[in-house]
Amino acid sequence: MKNARIWFEKRDECKYISHLDLNRVMMRAIQKSKLPVWYTEGFNIHPYITFALPLSLGFVGVREPMDCRIEDDNFDFMTIPELLNPCLPNGIKVISANEPKYKAGDISSAEYKISLVSNYISNEELYSSFTELLKKDEILIEKKTKKGVKTVNLKEQILSFDISNSDKICLTLVLPCGSTNNVNPNLLIKAYENAMQNEVFAEIIRTDIFVEGGSRFE
Amino acid sequence: MIRKDVEKILLKVQKPGRYVGGELNAVVKDKQSVDVRFAFCFPDTYEIGMSHLGMKILYSLFNSYPYVWCERVFAPWLDMEEQMEKNNIPLYALESGDELSEFDFIGFTLQYELSYTNVLHMLKMSDIPLLSKDRKDLFNIVVAGGPCCCNPEPLADFVDVFFLGDGEEVDMEVIDLYRECKKNGDSKEEFLKKASKIEGVYVPSLYDVSYNDDGTVKEIKPIGDAPKKISKRVIMDMDNSYYPKDFVVSNVEIVFDRAVGEIFRGCIRGCRFCQAGFLYRPVREKSVDCINEQCHTLCKNTGYDEVSLNSLSSSDYSQIVPLLEKMSKWANEENVSLSLPSLRVDGFSDDILNKIKTVRKSGLTFAPEAGTQRLRDVINKNVYEDELLSTCKVAFEGGYSAVKLYFMIGLPTETYDDVKGIADLGKSVVDTYYSCDNRQKGKSVRVTLSASSFVPKPFTPFQWEAQDTREELEKKQRHIKESLASKKLVYNYHDADTSFLEAVFARGDRKLCKVLLKAAEYGMHFDSWSDCFSLEKWLKVFEECGVAPEFYANRKRDFAEVLPWDHLDYSISKEFLVNECKKAYENKTTENCREKCANCGANKYGGGVCFEKRKNMV
Repeated sequence: MKNARIWFEKRDECKYISHLDLNRVMMRAIQKSKLPVWYTEGFNIHPYITFALPLSLGFVGVREPMDCRIEDDNFDFMTIPELLNPCLPNGIKVISANEPKYKAGDISSAEYKISLVSNYISNEELYSSFTELLKKDEILIEKKTKKGVKTVNLKEQILSFDISNSDKICLTLVLPCGSTNNVNPNLLIKAYENAMQNEVFAEIIRTDIFVEGGSRFE
Repeated sequence: MIRKDVEKILLKVQKPGRYVGGELNAVVKDKQSVDVRFAFCFPDTYEIGMSHLGMKILYSLFNSYPYVWCERVFAPWLDMEEQMEKNNIPLYALESGDELSEFDFIGFTLQYELSYTNVLHMLKMSDIPLLSKDRKDLFNIVVAGGPCCCNPEPLADFVDVFFLGDGEEVDMEVIDLYRECKKNGDSKEEFLKKASKIEGVYVPSLYDVSYNDDGTVKEIKPIGDAPKKISKRVIMDMDNSYYPKDFVVSNVEIVFDRAVGEIFRGCIRGCRFCQAGFLYRPVREKSVDCINEQCHTLCKNTGYDEVSLNSLSSSDYSQIVPLLEKMSKWANEENVSLSLPSLRVDGFSDDILNKIKTVRKSGLTFAPEAGTQRLRDVINKNVYEDELLSTCKVAFEGGYSAVKLYFMIGLPTETYDDVKGIADLGKSVVDTYYSCDNRQKGKSVRVTLSASSFVPKPFTPFQWEAQDTREELEKKQRHIKESLASKKLVYNYHDADTSFLEAVFARGDRKLCKVLLKAAEYGMHFDSWSDCFSLEKWLKVFEECGVAPEFYANRKRDFAEVLPWDHLDYSISKEFLVNECKKAYENKTTENCREKCANCGANKYGGGVCFEKRKNMV
């Protein structure tokens, strides 16, 4: 038995399914593909799969990890995409698989690319007002946690950012994530909307995941 | 395909995965290369519609023809609907994203009366004229099938064509006729006239209905040479009838998220309240090999790890144990679990229990329907208290600790003793649990008593009965509550108000069309959801239309009265139904189809259970 980390994209139609639904979609795909994944041996037998870092509903993910165990030690990881892809719906595509280098708990940050559109103001205005917000020392937003609502300063949480205005506004953000501290990029969008009192349409893509020290999660 | 305008609103609604399509096995064709586009509409939410077997069969069947493209349409939930309205987005089909008004056929499946307003609402959401007569071209043909078509009169002004009975053959015949008429440049009228000649097709606009002074139907007269009686279509050879090799597998969780095998159509029992038990006669079984093969293929093509064996009463399948044996061979190997819904109290054996022993041993459901033997005899349920208790004993000893029992209140001839019998029966089940030596130790039992209200339905022996008034039903509901004698009993009941509305539309006539039209004007819909249903609003609509709903729900009809569905023939003779009704009054039961033919009329198809060899025959 060996561990496998399967990398996949989640976009288009599948951008709109929840993490729980994704879990079911993947289990069915594995069942249909007959990939020799280890099944749990409890009362409710199912393929044993875990996701290192769940993706919010509505986000595109281009390099999402799913972990499982392959029963056959000699199994060729290269065949996993061709086995699983015909069993998956539009919007989920398996890219590659490898033996995990890091543990899920090592994850500490993720990179997001966000394109912004507004129905109310021009790209120029959107660009300058968003840049203005990012320059501030304090970006306060109320965050709902299990313990209740608390106010956090997003500015302290942003590990790096970049904003550009070519034909559309594109924001690149690196934010902490993982089991200890998780910051959803939507909070920043909401902070902007609160500050400007108008709505923006944000398309958020999670582009990469990193471990402590900045290496790529592999 | 996701429409650009829809993408903007998807993150503002709950479970947006319901509105985007793109599921595994969804069929996408090039619209330029097909002759007929069919929008298959389920007038309820995605999770419910996607669970419906009939839709899966017909979707795959239609799409198996290269010149037809069938797509799915569901009613968007309230939050989505609000967003669509705000952003001027019409109701669209999931595969292409095209709006309903671009389709040749707009087909609805009528599974329950309370979805009628959704039918109209869905048409409205795509700006399609509601009244059949306002859609003048041979295009946007509104058709409907399903059990409610046995009395489609309340929808007669809106729907162009109703399909009676099994849809597999008749639907395709009508699609082919349309294709031909389109090529010939025929008018809609010509198409409808030709369609009315096809067995199983009812074109309501080709019939005139006149009424007596007391509001009852006087006569239903065909116009021109439309057939006097319209017969349902029946598929007799179930093994060779079309069955899908795959299902569209939803990405979001749906109500019945599993593969489904159909094991037979019809029911041998003839419970007198049950419309399905008469509409789908005669019983036609599939062979073990056929079911086994179909289920296995479905599991392979969908990735589902559960397959459910569906029918009206699965334990009545003549080969149930051999079937389960055969299926468990591959099911165990492939980690697939088998489930068997619709089990009868008397059909529950250790043998079956062991095969369907899946994981979640949470609960079992049985439907004794009535609390006393006398009333169970009246409704011809043919289930005895000791059978129920011994079945429960088997279940408890097999590790179950929760049982759900379904009952109806308001049944014909019911007394308050019968009503109290429901609570008493529940108590006996609780006592049975504590008398089991092998029960799961340290676990308490839970017996849920669920009471719905009886709704008299067409083509049943009770089609002439008056429904209890809402006040009476509520009184009976309270009576059960007061009679509960154990804390292990959980009691819940169905809202009597919705049952009342259901009763009105189930046996309604064409005078209800204007009521539905008015309701649609007021934007009423999702009546089967408590979020939306308001009897108060409905009563107002009835009053404005000058229609008394009690006339339909609470009036006892005479056997001689012309019923609004008398021109429709479901192979069940009226004489038989009258006879069954009279037997009910005498507390007399009728043997099931396997024991003795009751002469209902369904043997005219020359097959099925009617021609099975009976065990007591040499």
